[in-house]
Amino acid sequence: MPSDIVIVGGGVAGIAAAVVAARSGCSVTLLDSGSAVGGQYYRGAKSPESGSGLSYEALRRAFDELVVARGIDRRLDTYVYSLERRDSGFVVRTRGDDRHRGDVDVLESRAVVIATGAFDKQLPFPGWTLPGVMSGGGAQALVKGSDVLPGQRIVVAGTGPFLLAVTYALISAGGNVIAVVEANDPVGLARHAWSVLPAAGKSADLAKFVTALAKKRVPYLRRHRVRRASGTGHLESVTISRVDGDWRGIAGSERILECDALAIGYGFTAQTDLAAQVGARMRIGSDGGLAVEVDERQRTSVPALMAAGETTGIGGVDLARMEGLIAGVAAVEQCGRQAALSDAAIARGMRDVLKLRRFADALHFAFPVRDGWRDDVDDQTLVCRCEEVSASKVRGAVSDLGARDARSVKLLTRAGMGWCQGRICAPAVDALCRFDSAASLIGGSYRPVAVPVPLGAIAAES
Amino acid sequence: MNPDVVVIGAGVVGACCARACVEAGLTVVVVDRGAVAGGTTGGGEGNILVSDKEPGPELDLALLSRELWAQMAGSLGDSFELDPKGGLVVATHQHTLDYLLRFADEQRACGVIAEPVAATDLPDHEPRISRDLAGGVLYPQDMQVQPMLAAAHIIEAACATGRTTLMTDCAVTGIDVDASGAVSGVRTAQGVISTRHVINAAGTWGGEIAALAGVELPILPRRGFILVTEPLPPLVRHKVYAADYVANVASDNAGLETSAVIEGTHSGTILIGASRERVGFDKTLDWHVLGRLAKQAIEIFPLLAEVQLLRTYGGFRPYCPDHLPVIGPDPRVPGLLHACGHEGAGVGLGAATGHVIAQWITGASTSIDLAPFSPARFGASHVA
Amino acid sequence: MSREVVFRFDGAPYPGRDGQTIAAALIDHGILSWRRTRVDDQPRGILCGIGVCFDCLITVNGEPNVRACMTGVEDGDDLRSQEGTGYAQ
Repeated sequence: MPSDIVIVGGGVAGIAAAVVAARSGCSVTLLDSGSAVGGQYYRGAKSPESGSGLSYEALRRAFDELVVARGIDRRLDTYVYSLERRDSGFVVRTRGDDRHRGDVDVLESRAVVIATGAFDKQLPFPGWTLPGVMSGGGAQALVKGSDVLPGQRIVVAGTGPFLLAVTYALISAGGNVIAVVEANDPVGLARHAWSVLPAAGKSADLAKFVTALAKKRVPYLRRHRVRRASGTGHLESVTISRVDGDWRGIAGSERILECDALAIGYGFTAQTDLAAQVGARMRIGSDGGLAVEVDERQRTSVPALMAAGETTGIGGVDLARMEGLIAGVAAVEQCGRQAALSDAAIARGMRDVLKLRRFADALHFAFPVRDGWRDDVDDQTLVCRCEEVSASKVRGAVSDLGARDARSVKLLTRAGMGWCQGRICAPAVDALCRFDSAASLIGGSYRPVAVPVPLGAIAAES
Repeated sequence: MNPDVVVIGAGVVGACCARACVEAGLTVVVVDRGAVAGGTTGGGEGNILVSDKEPGPELDLALLSRELWAQMAGSLGDSFELDPKGGLVVATHQHTLDYLLRFADEQRACGVIAEPVAATDLPDHEPRISRDLAGGVLYPQDMQVQPMLAAAHIIEAACATGRTTLMTDCAVTGIDVDASGAVSGVRTAQGVISTRHVINAAGTWGGEIAALAGVELPILPRRGFILVTEPLPPLVRHKVYAADYVANVASDNAGLETSAVIEGTHSGTILIGASRERVGFDKTLDWHVLGRLAKQAIEIFPLLAEVQLLRTYGGFRPYCPDHLPVIGPDPRVPGLLHACGHEGAGVGLGAATGHVIAQWITGASTSIDLAPFSPARFGASHVA
Repeated sequence: MSREVVFRFDGAPYPGRDGQTIAAALIDHGILSWRRTRVDDQPRGILCGIGVCFDCLITVNGEPNVRACMTGVEDGDDLRSQEGTGYAQ
């Protein structure tokens, strides 16, 4: 039986949308690929962690109660491989988790909210494929979700305030973080964003992180970057150095840090696949990455399709929650109902979204990605990890075979044709080849199959 | 710039035309509104088949083309994964098998190597094939290439001679003729190129290019999807397809037609086709079509049921009403030649197409009679 | 998340905890890699850790190409490292 609303993604944006939609009397199905809701930020959350945690507890309780009362059909361990538009709404094709790949289902709904979050952006560097090198989000998932530390001597690196959050999570779990290696020098933060912090409710978070690092005497090395990772069969050390304003290494400043885990990330890439499948318009966010374009009500350019959270542009947990609320309201109205939320509350929410987006933009401005990392990518460095395509092959496609965009590089070198379908390597290919990022990113964002699915399972639909 | 020849279209057919012209001593400019292999060439499987051609002009072209491809791969250092794997056409029912065997007899009479295979012997050629088939025919001459690499490397080699210039991201906006109505140049977004010979190798958009020269060419798109699996060990040795594939190609059905086509690739993925639909240029995915392709493939290789689909891609085969390509000079516009409309056989027939086009331009007699492929066969008129 | 489970990795038994991912359970025992790549035969572990990159593929109870970071470890699991395509040649 079709639902009024299908929500894809059970992070804080999806949960917020689901609660308002269910409270407004709509039938709601929420899908999440994990074994529990909460997304990345609230992974494994039993007790609130941040200043806004108390209200998350309340939100989560409301969600759980609605699930029990059957106001929300919550489907965990569920992946969406295709979103399709029909005249009367949408068709959502799902499969189970990796133990149940063949368990497919086809759902219909009048409206859809996409809240599929984001994943860490990686910039290739020599040695990045060594076991022990992982994303900040991956390290965070280990501690928050499974209570496991990634290693005994951990280096956290990359750029962005997320490094602090990851470090905090690691040291709170007893982890030994020997250094935080931040490529930027976020002095700009002092002028721009700190002033916005109290309004955004972020001051508690960041103060907490900074205090914890200071207490544990974790060195926070600004204007430093990981140049290479080394080891035989697994990570044994990283070479870091000071960098200039363009992220180029400063000769003579190299240092070797012995470590067995590197948690590294350079911002995030929004998961926009499902929106791209139905032709929703994209935009380039203030971080230079692709995001689903939405209006002030979180509506995409596709009727009855809303998007919320990191999917619409990287902006953090509080923004995601507000966007989820607004998207839920829009979905309810799409179904011809009245939202169970006062106009004043909705207006307040929309104002908060604007404020939080400005804050996010300020952070992106303070933590940009600069080009100097490209100089470290030698011929042998893999760019596409799935298909093991080296930088020399990628560069050769441009210089020798006339490749002009990421798609051509893909078809000529196989970069982007493997399991992850270019999610990890696409930004790096664009940057290394100096393609027009916007056009190339948008062109490469269409993935007709959002997650692999067994042929036998799709054969059933013939 | 004043080349002997301008080739419109940097797909596999355009690439082969450029190469053949350069080898014949001509200077060439290849121009494309997009990237190399940006059209249908990037959406196909790279087949070089004789197995699916019925006796007639197309089969003759295919046999010649196959030999030329083998030579080309040799001289280009195997840069495009040429695999002389052979084709295995199978029949699911006895009556289809009877048709297939008769068809093979006719092909053999024209120089095709076709070896009937009894049902019980099919596993010797394909260990993982279904045991429920009626039988098949083996075609050792069938081959496969990676089509994008083929187009890219063929063009690169032509450019390396110094007698070919490649202009990508450069749309053609007009074809100029002189007072006598003969070609005098090509207008592009980057200026006019003076030339006496224009080769329309624009594939599915061949009709639009022809219109720029004021003539009509009835080329329409026939959509196809291909399923791509996860990387697998070598499980499928040949290009394997169901006998009804041939009937599909020749049909005029506007609706959906699918029949199983399965083959492995250099990288280990398995490609599954083939669907044919007349839906204009709509590239929206249709899971009903994909489901049918999957189902039919599983009937031939049961192991595929558990194999994961990683991605799909679609393309538009250019086809003419009589299912033959348009190759050769356009009698209405001296200097204009066509090399398009190959309907799913652009790669396979590309080498021979380029070969005969270059022969014609240089005044040599063509290896294949071009009359059956002439645009004159449509009783074609000028565009109003 | 406190119930103990026992799983095997390449034949050897290990304790784990219900609710951990397979990746976490292995990393907890200092096992950082359970796959060698198809072309260059190089070791890989987790990269993104949240199911997007497919680097962490492992064979679970005979089923290849399971994402270790997205799959909870279960009591009695027979985990095997994999190489190539994950399938037997």
